[in-house]
Amino acid sequence: HSVCYNRNSIYHFIDRAEKPHTVCRQLNSTLWLNVGGRSIHSSAVCCKNRAARIRVGKGDRPVTYEQALHPHQIAHRKGWLSQHTSNLQGEDGAADRTVEDLFIRRLIYGTFHGCLADELVIKRRGNLLVICALMLQKLPPHKYYFLVGYTEELLSHFYKCPVKMEIQMLEEKSVYKYL
Amino acid sequence: MAASTFCPALLPLLRINCKFNGVYTRISLNRRAAYSLGLTASNGVERQGLPERGNQGQRRQRRAVEPRTERMTVDQDWTAVYPTAASFKPNSVPLPVRMGYPVKRGVPPAKKGNLELIKIPNFLHLTPEAIKKHCEALKPFCTEWPAALDSDAKCEEHFPIQVESKAYVSAGPSLRNPNARIITLTVKLSSLNLDEHARKKLIRLSGERYNKDTDTLTITTDSCPMKQQNYDYAMYLLTVLYHESWKTEAWEKEKTRADMEEYVWEDSPSQKNILETLLRMRPLGEKEEEGEVREELLGRVEVQEYKDSVTKLKNEGETETNMQQYKEAVKKLLNI
Repeated sequence: HSVCYNRNSIYHFIDRAEKPHTVCRQLNSTLWLNVGGRSIHSSAVCCKNRAARIRVGKGDRPVTYEQALHPHQIAHRKGWLSQHTSNLQGEDGAADRTVEDLFIRRLIYGTFHGCLADELVIKRRGNLLVICALMLQKLPPHKYYFLVGYTEELLSHFYKCPVKMEIQMLEEKSVYKYL
Repeated sequence: MAASTFCPALLPLLRINCKFNGVYTRISLNRRAAYSLGLTASNGVERQGLPERGNQGQRRQRRAVEPRTERMTVDQDWTAVYPTAASFKPNSVPLPVRMGYPVKRGVPPAKKGNLELIKIPNFLHLTPEAIKKHCEALKPFCTEWPAALDSDAKCEEHFPIQVESKAYVSAGPSLRNPNARIITLTVKLSSLNLDEHARKKLIRLSGERYNKDTDTLTITTDSCPMKQQNYDYAMYLLTVLYHESWKTEAWEKEKTRADMEEYVWEDSPSQKNILETLLRMRPLGEKEEEGEVREELLGRVEVQEYKDSVTKLKNEGETETNMQQYKEAVKKLLNI
């Protein structure tokens, strides 16, 4: 039995009692002609790194320092957004701290939706969790007070450690360059 | 509408809000009327006549308040500005700091809204003034170092057993660290009351916990979960070692020459050989007692020297001086 590459179209060829070499020729010809069949298609791998990068555009898009510098500039021109001791040699808890950080970032992004001017900075001083945020003046101050208190209370109950938020208000986002 | 659900104190506030703009129905539902009263009223006044346009209408046009730095004097108390560790606040730090990589043909970004300055840990709360204040506050809780213990030797003499333990501080909700339970106990054997047999037995019992060069026995315990338990266990081990080394078991009599820790010249093949050689060297004809001859030969100075050099060679290994000494001793003995 000859191998059937495209069942739908050349099935009827196999049914006929033909000599193998003619069948092969027919198979070959049908493979070349049959473009709409179901076969694996692959392309070359795209080795570009796209993580946390805003690509250069027309020049009308304002970008903060944090967004403009790419991740490979961390420890060269950028600092770290989250500080704790778990990544040091012989210390435990790195995964737990990372998951906590992610949760906190999402929670605050949603709680202060549209008000954040830049990424959060999370610091841990022993037991204390400090969240430093730059905010825009989108809401009246009493709302900010309430949301800050609410976040602190909720997170401290969640993580069983004191949580403090230190926020700074800006009139507008600080632009580093235009991409 | 929903006015009936509000408390009467807020009703005047409501009226102000609804008065200016029929479309603006966003009513602040907070209970902190004291904050909102001042702000929303003034903002309502400011917004008089402004067009209402979706999101832009929500934004408050606030007066830019001058930062605190403008009103700081040069001789202010800095410990009041940064009493504890806090992130960098550009409006509280009167320094024109810039941080960041500059744009082409530009300067590093200013401190206002600079996330890099917030990211880094700062020591603005640890000025020398602040540290002096900390020290002054801690002084009542401190006691003087005892004047009698003014040298290391005295400390060792009075406190021969030294116990080390480590405490760990890390950033996270839990302060438990399993490595904090490890206890290391060090003691010099010279400070313990041991005789020769006890000393040798204790060294044998402790195995690789004994350091010959510094004559210290080090016991490290980490098998118990708590530090206190490990400490008790280490003290117990030391006590047991001490008492066991003083006991002599029945089977210790069977100690052979191969079990000896160091080379002993008496009754060794070397002694027998040298005695035989010297006996052969004596002129014939003198029939004396074997025992007397032995004693006399052993008493000779050259034989003693030979004994010392052989013992040194065997115990300490082959060094230049040892080999020289052996050579000299042999030469003297054999009259070369």
